[in-house]
Amino acid sequence: MSEASADGHEDHGHHGPAFLAHHFTTPAQQFDAAKLGMWLFLAQELLFFSGLFVAYLVFRMWYPDAWSVGSHELDWKMGTVNTLVLLFSSLTAVLAVRSAQLGERGKVTMLLLVTIACAFIFLVVKYFEYQHKFEAGLLPGHYFAPVAGHTHANVFPPGTAAFFSVYFMATGVHGLHVIIGIGVLFWMVIRNQKGEFTKDFWTPIDLVALYWHLVDLIWIYLFPFLYLID
Amino acid sequence: MSTAHNDHSHDHAHSDESHGAVHVHVHPASTYYKIFAALVIFTLITVGLSRIHLGDWNFFIAVVVATIKAGLVATYFMHLKDDNRFNVVLFFGSLLFMGVFFVYTMNDTQHRGQWDDSYGTRVSADGEPAPGRGQADAIKLDPNAGQGAHGEAAEHH
Repeated sequence: MSEASADGHEDHGHHGPAFLAHHFTTPAQQFDAAKLGMWLFLAQELLFFSGLFVAYLVFRMWYPDAWSVGSHELDWKMGTVNTLVLLFSSLTAVLAVRSAQLGERGKVTMLLLVTIACAFIFLVVKYFEYQHKFEAGLLPGHYFAPVAGHTHANVFPPGTAAFFSVYFMATGVHGLHVIIGIGVLFWMVIRNQKGEFTKDFWTPIDLVALYWHLVDLIWIYLFPFLYLID
Repeated sequence: MSTAHNDHSHDHAHSDESHGAVHVHVHPASTYYKIFAALVIFTLITVGLSRIHLGDWNFFIAVVVATIKAGLVATYFMHLKDDNRFNVVLFFGSLLFMGVFFVYTMNDTQHRGQWDDSYGTRVSADGEPAPGRGQADAIKLDPNAGQGAHGEAAEHH
């Protein structure tokens, strides 16, 4: 009985390529299932981040002056640089998928490494921004204690602390996603170098790129919402 | 048992392998370069417009430009254009429920302390104190104190 089913599994293996898991009939079915799973995860991610965006909007409506003052404490030039870096990393991520579709292994590794490099640049810029906020005492919630001489404004209306709560939570959770992104991108580089991907099988690279684009998508909203308030 | 397996395998042998392969349209790299260029241009537009004072329009424009950028990323970089329609439905479904979340929450927080005609009651003025607020009054810094500290630091150097 057990031998028979073991044989059955081997039989399955002979009827499809090595990358096809035995519970799928065709590579196309496997691909669609993987993409569906990833999109479900991304939908969950959007809903997860929506909590932070709701907090942003509610506090902004309550404390418009605080939002304006808080925003002017952020460095919009650094924010712009980071936006361009992330957009570029999204370009290299999608080009990595394209190269994978064409079976260009060397190019895939190169493009994934450029994407990772962009992620590190983003985090370094963020580190300098955070460092300045810490020095200036522009911290979340009841840790908010601005230090004279380190800030643009001298008067912080009620709710400025809430701005920095939202700022640190939103950029912090986003930054965590960038760090996780670096991890999964490295994982793809390793698997690609091992030769696991061919022009017929590149689904994992596609899924990781989708995740990376979502991280970019979130930042596309965070950047103007936090840095560019009039 | 083994007969059943043989039958199963037989079905597989008959299924057309070419129908089961993953078919995607590989876009030329130039498509992605153009989308990237558009994203950079929109970023510069949104930064540029934020330097001009347009009142409430600033936020509106920022949302519109960000949504155009997000649309380009989702459509082309995330391949929603070529993807299974069901994944598109999932994506817009999550956006729809984000909208529900926004509207219902704002409907509460924007009407605190107001008279509710339909129920003949007053909406609670404060609700629960927001945990992140942490600062009920304005904080005023002494600008001279800051400069003084800098001056002392300069003397030490």
